[in-house]
Amino acid sequence: MPVHDLGYRKWVGKRNHQLIRPLYVARSGIMLIWRRRMLKLLLMLAWLPIAIPAVGIFCFEQGITDVTYRRVIIRTLQGPMERPDLAAQMLQDPVSIRHEVWSTLILGFFRVPQLYSMVLLIGLIAPLLISYDLRSKAYLQYFSRPLSPNEYIIGKSAVIWFFLGMITTLPGLTLYLLGVLLSPEISVVGMTWDIPLRILLASVALIVPTTALAISYSACTVENRYASFAWFATWIMGSVAYQVLTNAPRMGRGRRARFDMEMDMERWLLVSPYHTLGKVETWIFGLDTGESSVWPAVLILLTVIVIGTFFVRSRLIGRLSV
Amino acid sequence: MKHKASLSPTYAESLLSPIISLNGVTKLYSGFRALDDISLEIKPGITGLLGPNGSGKSTLIKSLLGLVRNHQGTGKVLGLQWPREVREIRDRVGYLPEDDCYIAGLTGIEAVAFMANLSGLPKTEGMRRAHEITDFCDIGEEKYRSVEAYSTGMRQKLKFAQALVHDPPFLILDEPTTGLDPDQRDAMLRRIRTLARDHGKSILLSTHILPDVKAVCDQVIILARGKVRVHDSMENLSKPAEPTLNVMTYGKKDAFLSGLDKAGYTVTTKTDGALKIIGTNIEQVSNIWDIAAATETSIRRLAPAQNSLEEIFFQAVSASEHS
Repeated sequence: MPVHDLGYRKWVGKRNHQLIRPLYVARSGIMLIWRRRMLKLLLMLAWLPIAIPAVGIFCFEQGITDVTYRRVIIRTLQGPMERPDLAAQMLQDPVSIRHEVWSTLILGFFRVPQLYSMVLLIGLIAPLLISYDLRSKAYLQYFSRPLSPNEYIIGKSAVIWFFLGMITTLPGLTLYLLGVLLSPEISVVGMTWDIPLRILLASVALIVPTTALAISYSACTVENRYASFAWFATWIMGSVAYQVLTNAPRMGRGRRARFDMEMDMERWLLVSPYHTLGKVETWIFGLDTGESSVWPAVLILLTVIVIGTFFVRSRLIGRLSV
Repeated sequence: MKHKASLSPTYAESLLSPIISLNGVTKLYSGFRALDDISLEIKPGITGLLGPNGSGKSTLIKSLLGLVRNHQGTGKVLGLQWPREVREIRDRVGYLPEDDCYIAGLTGIEAVAFMANLSGLPKTEGMRRAHEITDFCDIGEEKYRSVEAYSTGMRQKLKFAQALVHDPPFLILDEPTTGLDPDQRDAMLRRIRTLARDHGKSILLSTHILPDVKAVCDQVIILARGKVRVHDSMENLSKPAEPTLNVMTYGKKDAFLSGLDKAGYTVTTKTDGALKIIGTNIEQVSNIWDIAAATETSIRRLAPAQNSLEEIFFQAVSASEHS
């Protein structure tokens, strides 16, 4: 017996409200995952791509007054960004396209580096969350406390929300702030005030459905490697299927005919999570020029959230009843 | 003005009133009646919950905590409506699950503090309390190791600490001594006794180990096939239906037996060779001494007989199989 053992003593004190208890589930999950060195490295690397759009915004703002920068921006808009319409306007009235250029750059940041980082990050952390609890029967400990399955799911999801927020929302907002700081005049805030709100909305569209999908995979199995495999397979297979379905009609034609052929690229985008998310995010940033409606993509994301959450809930309740 | 030292009526009532009263609790698993119309009242103190495998003990415990659903029946637990107020009930109950369950990646002290936080203790207070309870449960310096590296016995102590950390008035302990060596088992039973006797906690102890129940319990519930077969205090259960004496003899047993027979006593011989004289009590032993003297039999031990818990358990289980 330790020398400082005081025996059993009563505890008297004020308890926290039940509503904040899921926060402890989230806190403990974040604490556990934060101990992984690999994850810290990934988080640091996920912030590096912020430099590219930041430089883009800086060049654009300088290009309003400086011809050298303007030439660089025009070349970029015509080339990699595939926006010749904006390039033409850049010559006439650059200030009028400020909002669109900023949105395009920030969307590009969301679509490419952050989405890949997100897939990698969730693939590493999400399977650990629920499948570990199922394997070690930790759910008995959680649910013997005043915690409902819904609160547990919120707590576990919040772990992923936190880390995704760290690599998407936070860098997105930082990028906007950098843009403002790198601009020659403060009046840019008046023209771009809605971009932070769009960043938040795009983050929600990115984070919530992907989290629901990830935790439902995690709840499928007690082997976290299977959940990781299913997660990566969904993204890879979805993108491959989209590429095949959109490119198949071009096959068997001559090279020139293939190039000239008008393709309905949006017809199959719902088979790919990457492209479905892209459609919604583009719409949120006000840059959607596609002919098809955004609502099927929104509906798909909402379905993933509802079915994913319901599935995790039923898996947990089913486990308890054994 | 005179002041009378007396218990307030509500406090006195709380000591007498049952901590659990259930009425018509039934739970079906795909048509199988895991709990079959269970109605019972559990008084404060330590209650042993016994039953063979599949008798419904774990289902009853999980139902009390609202971990299994779709059951029929109503009741009260710690004065709260069951199952309607099951969240509030969970706040006041400490549960030690039978299964080997732990939160992977946490150290022992973190696991206990985490459970404290989930029960509403603020962060710092939860950690302070976790240290206090891990000391009480004799987890020692092991509390700084990851729970995945714990032995079965250590995990058992950790689960006990987790059940206790929020200072619940009622503890549900499902097989708390499983996997413990004899010393640790004694220590665990001592802790259970201490909590009940010195700190007024009520405890529901579900176990297969009958000596554990005998050692600590005030009352016993025996479940079999989803029904309550026996529910009484240990004192009442240990009393035989008729006054009976156990007699251990040395010498001519046959002569002594015929002497008792002639005197009108009903006598049976137990497996250990002792005689069980039914229908007499300790106040009426002079006749027996006389018969022993007459038959030149030496009595080595003579004591009032008590029903053994094993006998009661096997009778209840076999009766359920024949019903």
